[in-house]
Amino acid sequence: MFWFALKNMAIKAAQCILVALSIIISAGIAVLAYNVANQVDEGITDNAGYYSVIVGPSGSKTQLVMNTMYFTEEPLGTIPYSVVTELMKDGTRVSSVIPFAMADNYNGYGVVGTSAAFLKNKMVKSGEIFNDTTTMQAVVGANIAKYNQLSVGDVIYTSHSANGSDLHTKGLKVVGVLEESHSSYDNVVFTQVRTLWEMHEHGEESETMESAHEPTVCAILVNTKNPAYAMQIVNEYDGKIGNAADGDPYTLQAVEPMAIVRDVLNEANDTKYIVFVLCAVILIMNVMIISIITLLNTYHSAKEISLMRLIGISMKKINLLYIIQNGLIGGIATGFAFALSRGCMALMNDYIASMGVVLNMAKIYPMEFVILLGVFVISIVPTLIWTFFTSRKDGIGD
Amino acid sequence: MIEIKNITKQFQNETEIVYKNTIFQTGKSYMLLGASGCGKSTLLNMIAGILSPTKGSILIDGEDITRKSQREKDKFRIEKIGYIFQDFKLLEDMTVADNINILKLEGIDVTGADTLLQTLGVYDKRRSKVKHLSGGQKQRVAIARALVKKPEIILADEPTGNLNFSIGEQVIKELTSVAEGKTLIVVTHDDRLTKYFDEVVDMNVMTNGQRDIIKEEGV
Repeated sequence: MFWFALKNMAIKAAQCILVALSIIISAGIAVLAYNVANQVDEGITDNAGYYSVIVGPSGSKTQLVMNTMYFTEEPLGTIPYSVVTELMKDGTRVSSVIPFAMADNYNGYGVVGTSAAFLKNKMVKSGEIFNDTTTMQAVVGANIAKYNQLSVGDVIYTSHSANGSDLHTKGLKVVGVLEESHSSYDNVVFTQVRTLWEMHEHGEESETMESAHEPTVCAILVNTKNPAYAMQIVNEYDGKIGNAADGDPYTLQAVEPMAIVRDVLNEANDTKYIVFVLCAVILIMNVMIISIITLLNTYHSAKEISLMRLIGISMKKINLLYIIQNGLIGGIATGFAFALSRGCMALMNDYIASMGVVLNMAKIYPMEFVILLGVFVISIVPTLIWTFFTSRKDGIGD
Repeated sequence: MIEIKNITKQFQNETEIVYKNTIFQTGKSYMLLGASGCGKSTLLNMIAGILSPTKGSILIDGEDITRKSQREKDKFRIEKIGYIFQDFKLLEDMTVADNINILKLEGIDVTGADTLLQTLGVYDKRRSKVKHLSGGQKQRVAIARALVKKPEIILADEPTGNLNFSIGEQVIKELTSVAEGKTLIVVTHDDRLTKYFDEVVDMNVMTNGQRDIIKEEGV
């Protein structure tokens, strides 16, 4: 039976290939859209979930979160480091406090000043994470190391301007290179926050590090001991007004990054639904294409079925033969559709990584199987229904 | 033995053919001769279980095939009937071997196929696609497919209809030779072939012809 099904498929190769292509494209796109949409949602939410609260200068909450979590957007400004020390003293509610500053660039790549704890979840390809007590050390992202041929022990010079001019005179020694993560971490130089202060104490001021004498940061990442404390800290710090040591006034804002990201994702959901509707349209077109192909081949198939009926091949065997044929086409095509979705994900990964999310090729959602099964069924059912009714006829009408 | 008893076949309630009671003896060869439309092919199709009579019964070795279910008719046809069609009814895009091996779908043993193909002179074409064969070769393949399952009854509907006389005569000779000892019923227009059969049945006498019910009875 299987052998005969293969022979029959070989004869109708063009038809089989057209049906298979239709399934591969429609199922591939549907699975890809579903998987990527969900991984991006989860990835962004997971990243945001690393920290309970972000404290920063007043301004756009989204900009504060995007700048701190994904290094996109410009910093909102700076706040005094005294806020960091104040939070560190709150041992009752706070479990960790990480300063975050963004200033300068190295060959166009951003430079982040922080503490070693900021990179605690990152893998190091070579060397180690910088020491919190030693300044002028740098850990570089994988892309920076690759494209600038940097390795542990090299010294890099950062600059104020994006075009690479106005270089700092003091260099940073590369002590570690991060493992490639296909995320925004690949494109950033990380150093101790004090390093940025030291570099700017020599009369070299950047927009975000306004004073060489009053240490400042762009944001503070806070983890609390429980969610209730996070809400308390947000309430206390959001809108809080103060004066720096040099008398400059500042206004803080505090946000729960997860809530901000959820708001952003809710707005993005409309786009997601449009993608899903487009997928549904593609699936409907797939059914139409297959139905048209089936209709175009009706004459040939009807003749074949009628002939088999005349020589005594039973309806059951004919139906089984067509089920095997269509099952093989559908099965192989859905397999290729899945592979296509993963191939496209690999191609999209760098782009998605710029949003701070690394797509996991091995991640499969149960709904993907439902989609593949659905496409498989709607692709082969029209042919099987037609075959069933055709094979019920004797081959010679009364 | 095949017994035709009080058979009437109506077509879409417009025309009908009434058959006289007839018996085809086991092991004999019959030639059904008659004008077009007198019901020769219809009779074969009813014996094969492809068509059902409107009235009457067809007994094969005492068993009424008209009472069988579709599944039983399929089983009966694949096991007991070898049917050869005027237009061959072969899968044109498949090879000669594939056209015979298709019977394996129903569990038919086709080990005798090579011998049959040799006897019929088309063994060297077994790997060729049917569409590349001549009419005579196609008919020989159709005969091989019908006989390879060693059927008790062989039905042939105008097997020489698409062949010129000399090739047709050769095919009939080969058919009657390989079908020896089986019940063979062949429909043909060509009365020059009567000498190859044990009996000739004049279908013009066996049936009433195809009468128009609407015209005659106003149904």
